[in-house]
Amino acid sequence: MSLKKMVTITRRHIDPSLVLASVAVDSAGGAVLFVGTIREKSGGRPVKGLAYEVYKQMAVKRMREIEAEVRRKWPVKRMAMSHRYGQLKVGEVSVAVAVSCEHRAEAFEACRYAIDMIKRTLPMWKKESFGNGTEKWVKGSPIEG
Amino acid sequence: MKVRVLYFAAARDMASVGSEDVSLSERASVGDLAREMIRLHPALKNLVGSLRFSVNREVSGNSERLRDGDEVGVLPPVAGG
Repeated sequence: MSLKKMVTITRRHIDPSLVLASVAVDSAGGAVLFVGTIREKSGGRPVKGLAYEVYKQMAVKRMREIEAEVRRKWPVKRMAMSHRYGQLKVGEVSVAVAVSCEHRAEAFEACRYAIDMIKRTLPMWKKESFGNGTEKWVKGSPIEG
Repeated sequence: MKVRVLYFAAARDMASVGSEDVSLSERASVGDLAREMIRLHPALKNLVGSLRFSVNREVSGNSERLRDGDEVGVLPPVAGG
């Protein structure tokens, strides 16, 4: 994973330490990292894995818009977002967001806002697979523009 | 005119196709496309109330007019993160 690309949608393993390292800058006094992982249970049922599907070109565009919006709202120094798609196992990282700012309060707020917007506005879907071989699309929410 | 339609997730399952070109009359809207889509793939009828559409990678309303060559995404409720 490149340190230079601040917004990525990838089939490959996400290393959260690289995402965090990519927002390091001397003018920042703090960085916040959010890491989303695949939970072992869904609605009380044990999950074997998740398959993420993405409308990639639109999702990359949305992530760039999210970054622009976050930068308008908070004095962000650096920001990086990476979302994985394809087949993921329990415990693997599905998404990582890192934000660095001069002070911690705005870094926490900006990071929280970015991950919430990723969930609400990215054209992505996930299908859970269970131990007995069944699969199910995860019930989502209508995409917000 | 013709638009390129991309089906995702449950919509792709119901349509049994990932993408296709759909012919529409001039000045057709997103809503007109939705009706044509159900005519082509009746299984989508159960899903249509929950679907949203994008036109050229922007979320759009049903009244938006389409143009020849537009790329339309058929988007079930999303669940990223």
